[in-house]
Amino acid sequence: MKKEILRVFSFYFYSGKKSSRARTFFLLSAASVLMSLVIRAYQLAGNWTESGQVVFQNFLMVFFLQFLIVLLALFYGSSLVVEELDNRTMPYLITRPVRRAAIILGKYLAYLSLATIMLFSSVLLSYLILNLGPEFSLEDLETVIRYSLILWMGLAAYLSFFGFLSTWLKKPILVGLAFGFGWESVIQYFPGTTQKLSVAHYLKSLLPQYTTSGGKLGFLFIRLEPTRPLLAVLILVGIVALFLTLACIIFSYREYLFED
Amino acid sequence: MTPVIEARNLSRWYGNVLGISEINLDIEPGITALLGPNGAGKSTFMKIITGQLKPNLGQVRIYGQPVWNNREIFRRLGFCPEVDAFYEELNGQEFLTGLLSFYGFGEAECQKRALQALEMVGLQDVARRPIRSYSRGMRQRIKIAQTVAHDPDILILDEPLSGLDPLSKRRVIRLIKEFRLAGKTVVVSSHVLPEVEAMTSEIILIHHGKILARGDIHFIRELLDSHPHMIRIKSPHFRELARLLAGEEYILNITFEPQVSAVVFETHHRDKFYDRLNELILDSDLRLEEITSPDDNLQAVFDYLVER
Repeated sequence: MKKEILRVFSFYFYSGKKSSRARTFFLLSAASVLMSLVIRAYQLAGNWTESGQVVFQNFLMVFFLQFLIVLLALFYGSSLVVEELDNRTMPYLITRPVRRAAIILGKYLAYLSLATIMLFSSVLLSYLILNLGPEFSLEDLETVIRYSLILWMGLAAYLSFFGFLSTWLKKPILVGLAFGFGWESVIQYFPGTTQKLSVAHYLKSLLPQYTTSGGKLGFLFIRLEPTRPLLAVLILVGIVALFLTLACIIFSYREYLFED
Repeated sequence: MTPVIEARNLSRWYGNVLGISEINLDIEPGITALLGPNGAGKSTFMKIITGQLKPNLGQVRIYGQPVWNNREIFRRLGFCPEVDAFYEELNGQEFLTGLLSFYGFGEAECQKRALQALEMVGLQDVARRPIRSYSRGMRQRIKIAQTVAHDPDILILDEPLSGLDPLSKRRVIRLIKEFRLAGKTVVVSSHVLPEVEAMTSEIILIHHGKILARGDIHFIRELLDSHPHMIRIKSPHFRELARLLAGEEYILNITFEPQVSAVVFETHHRDKFYDRLNELILDSDLRLEEITSPDDNLQAVFDYLVER
């Protein structure tokens, strides 16, 4: 099974790299780098008073956590099966001696890897542009790595959920949009256990230093009742495992038809 | 001979639409052609025997084994889909090596097999060009290349000659015949009788999801020749032409279209009609502008056979 997953991964990582979608998303994820450059220029000119750390925290919460990882996961995850149907390439895949579960897992890992490269390069460059200076320390580097890993867990969880939708629904993108930018944006501000029905809740729980954050975007954290970090990580891993398993089961037993 | 593919009471429908109905077939090594008009059920049958669809009723076995999710069968199977679909961002060689890697071949072996397959279909010179820049014929040939690249025992080819120029058609037909000589099993679908005739004499007529007839080409030809054909000829001498042909015993009916200077003949012996027409053209000064067959498509022939 591992070898089959690796074969599918190699094929889709390679073809995914060459796709126009990859170029589009790479440019989109580079938006934060561009914004960072502009802000840094303002800082150097003395027209921006907030520190690089604060600006990056805002980027992290608003751009990366609530926008970029959801968007990358939505488009890559939704396309897991649907793109094969829309492009009518499904016969090339399912008539090969590869388990259907391996197709799902291989494609998932390929798209997760592509999205990870985009995310990490964007996060790292943005952080460095905003914070690089005489006071920059190894601790800062650890911080950015920790942030990146938390975002990556979110990316993996969202991608597995949208991937599952792709095996199940004909038009997963609409449901995905409603979930990613509707449900996820709203439910996390509900008090009590309701907010725990969102992936974003567990990601924010892993960023405890921001739970009491004030400032312009403090309203984003005001109602967070964080889950313990270890539990949050376990739940995120559980989400990935659950939805990937469901996706594999559905894809293994379901027929996929496209209009001839 | 032991059948390679066995279909028993195979039925499949899409909601209320019938795909195929109670198909019983044994397919042996060699070339077997599925001949039928569009929507006859050829593609549905092929999708079932390649494990893409499940039958609603009945079962299909290849080498005695069920097909659905059977990797051992998939290893021995090559499928050429009818649809013109590709991973457009890849070039021909990448497309083939990528799909070959699914069989567990090493990198070097994938490259070697990909190049061999490209050479087989005459695409070696454009191997590194993106597939999106390929012509319709090239795209059809790269589809055939991916079908044969892993050297399968069974080839399922859904309309493989569609979109090919005459030279490429000949090349592909020769390739298919080579597979027969190598003892492989080839199932090929088409809605064009002459194409099928060029490949095999073993033909299955399929229409409205049912097998209408099965036999060698002579039997099928006999069935088809009994179908009255319409032949429309546009000529400034259309009345003269009608007069010369009116006495022939194989002419069933003649209709004039004077506003466009055309005449429509109905005949049940198309070959005799064309022989005589050739003679008339050579012997007299008749000038023809256009010859068409309004009902010369398989659908009309099949409708006639079903009604009969």
